[in-house]
Amino acid sequence: MSIIVVGLNHKSAPVEIREKLAFNANNIPAALSQFLQKYPSSEAVILSTCNRVEMYVSSLEGTLKFEDILAFLSEFHKIEMNYLSTYLYHYIDDRAVNHLFFVAASLDSMVLGESQILSQVKEAYTIASVEEATGKVLNQLFQQSLNAAKLVHTKTSLGKGKVSISSVAVEFAEKIFQDFTGKTVLVVGAGEMCELLIKHLYEEGARTFVVANRTFERAQELANAYQGQAIKYELLGEYLAKADIIISSTSAPHYVIHVDQVKEAIKHRRGNPMFLIDIAVPRDIEPGIANIDNVYLYNIDDLQSVVAQNIDERTREIEKCRSLIEEEVEHFMARLEEMKIEPAITHLRNHFHNIGKEELNRLKPKLKEVGNEDWEQVVYTMERTINKLLHHPAKVAKQEAKNGGGYRYVETIKKLFGIFHHHSNPPHQ
Amino acid sequence: MFKLSHIPFIITIVLYFTSTVWSIGSIVCPHFFNKKVAKWTMMMGFFVHSGFLVFLGLESGNIPITNVYESFISLLWCVLFVYINLDYLYKLPSLDTFLVPLVTALSIWAMTFDGGNLIITVSLQNFWLVAHIIPIFVGYAAFTISFSLSIMYLTQQRQLKLKLFGALFNKLPSLEGIDKLMWKTLSLGFPLLTLGLVFGAFWVRTQNILGDMWYLDYKVILGLATWLTYAALLHMRLVASFHGTKVACMTIAGFCLVLFTFIGTFFMGSKHAFQKTNEPTHIEVLKERMP
Repeated sequence: MSIIVVGLNHKSAPVEIREKLAFNANNIPAALSQFLQKYPSSEAVILSTCNRVEMYVSSLEGTLKFEDILAFLSEFHKIEMNYLSTYLYHYIDDRAVNHLFFVAASLDSMVLGESQILSQVKEAYTIASVEEATGKVLNQLFQQSLNAAKLVHTKTSLGKGKVSISSVAVEFAEKIFQDFTGKTVLVVGAGEMCELLIKHLYEEGARTFVVANRTFERAQELANAYQGQAIKYELLGEYLAKADIIISSTSAPHYVIHVDQVKEAIKHRRGNPMFLIDIAVPRDIEPGIANIDNVYLYNIDDLQSVVAQNIDERTREIEKCRSLIEEEVEHFMARLEEMKIEPAITHLRNHFHNIGKEELNRLKPKLKEVGNEDWEQVVYTMERTINKLLHHPAKVAKQEAKNGGGYRYVETIKKLFGIFHHHSNPPHQ
Repeated sequence: MFKLSHIPFIITIVLYFTSTVWSIGSIVCPHFFNKKVAKWTMMMGFFVHSGFLVFLGLESGNIPITNVYESFISLLWCVLFVYINLDYLYKLPSLDTFLVPLVTALSIWAMTFDGGNLIITVSLQNFWLVAHIIPIFVGYAAFTISFSLSIMYLTQQRQLKLKLFGALFNKLPSLEGIDKLMWKTLSLGFPLLTLGLVFGAFWVRTQNILGDMWYLDYKVILGLATWLTYAALLHMRLVASFHGTKVACMTIAGFCLVLFTFIGTFFMGSKHAFQKTNEPTHIEVLKERMP
């Protein structure tokens, strides 16, 4: 029984290679079934995201090699094997388990601690299990990886604190406004950063967008994408009082929103707070605005410093995560060793019970006048005796197996009791 | 002056104090201080507090407001009672961090009033008294909570202005959320205060409790001032739809007035329903005057 992972990620391969090897939801089932046809006594899961493509395989006899998986991948995607292998990494057994736990906990992600990868791992596993490509080992492994990831996220602050400008800005907006429904977002400038912020606010429930831009067409384009309203750039001042959130990122060399304008606007707002985000360099919003009561102004540096701080905090958590994961890997490996011994114990049980049955069959004709109830008692006693006899050895064997002696114990049990059953179960049972 | 009967309230204070430490600790050092401890010690404190009031009530056969000390701890009980109910209804995150320390401090202050010789001079089985006291107490409780919310609002507002993004910043709800809750507590407290004052006025007119010059009593004057302050505040909210910092500051001012009306007037020698025991009580005076 062995676990192998073969794959590449954003660190090991450039995007040109990653996109070649990428799977999508449509061809994963086909790939899995092809693989299982070729290697029937194995289990497989394919994880394919924009930053990584990985194939997790467990083979029952432990005969499957990295090269076999490499060959399969290169054949499936029609990429030359030698070329592909330079970008691939592979890990075996505990290191493979460790790798998956790292990936699921988002320690291997481009953005450390992001939460998307966990759902991607979950989905990869679901697809594989629907295709019946997973069995005892990978079922356990993936369940455990999700648990380990959750453990890391609850016990450390790895996922805490936002790490992008737009999410930090939205987080601040959430500290001012309870929700964004019914709030007006005024967007000045129509750059990429603005769009990202609008998207984020839209996801959080904001629906009223007003876009002002030097080129009206571009404003219209952006407004249409979010069912907003485009206004002439010159009318900006008139809309200030209506805006709860103002995002500005024009390329203007001077201030676009001035203290007097906001002072005037806030009078009409009767103390309702106003949140201004200035992501332009040079700045668009006059800094003096920050001193007005009920007005909150943040510029790109304010947001960036929070992002940097949060990234720092996440990085500081890595060591803690690593040791948590190591523990989880150890648990899993112990469980795996235990699993190795389970078929042998089942066979041992069957073996004993068969002997018991044989003996009972031999006994029955000899006892002529035994009632049904009495006979049931005899059968029950026999079963109980066997179970009692086997209870302790099974327990000890499992315990010992946890410490890594699984294989040795299986062999010993077989030898001692004369069981010569080949324990190859088909993987998906 | 320590009495055996103080023990339950001392236990209450200790529990409230523990809750204070834990609720602040759960923000500063969440790994060490569990938020649940804060909640449960507060609840336990509240139960001991309730039990103590029941005991006082049974002992004197009256609702426990027979002296300033009892009134004070009854008021504090109302504060927590209203808080627990509001928290159940609206889920007020981290408000306990602001409210429980206040309650703890006031409880300690309340202790100093025991042994004072001010006792109530009127029959407590009086309908008017109950109709006067209960709405006002619950109203004051609501104002105490709105005060805590204002402090919370100003704290969060300051953190947003100064860009202090610490643990407290993350724990506190949005400004708008706090503002809405402030409004809810104010609109609960104001009608109750009005009702209590109206009943009080009826009472004083029909039974002549405070003498002919009742309207010159400090407590009456300050009560009216409190009412006017909150009326102005509600007017600002309702008619002029004011929000934000100004409302928070006025809520704080309103609460200071509440506290002053409730306790401060005793230092000024108000005889509003309470009387120094070594002097003849109003009722006795009234009796004497009667032919």
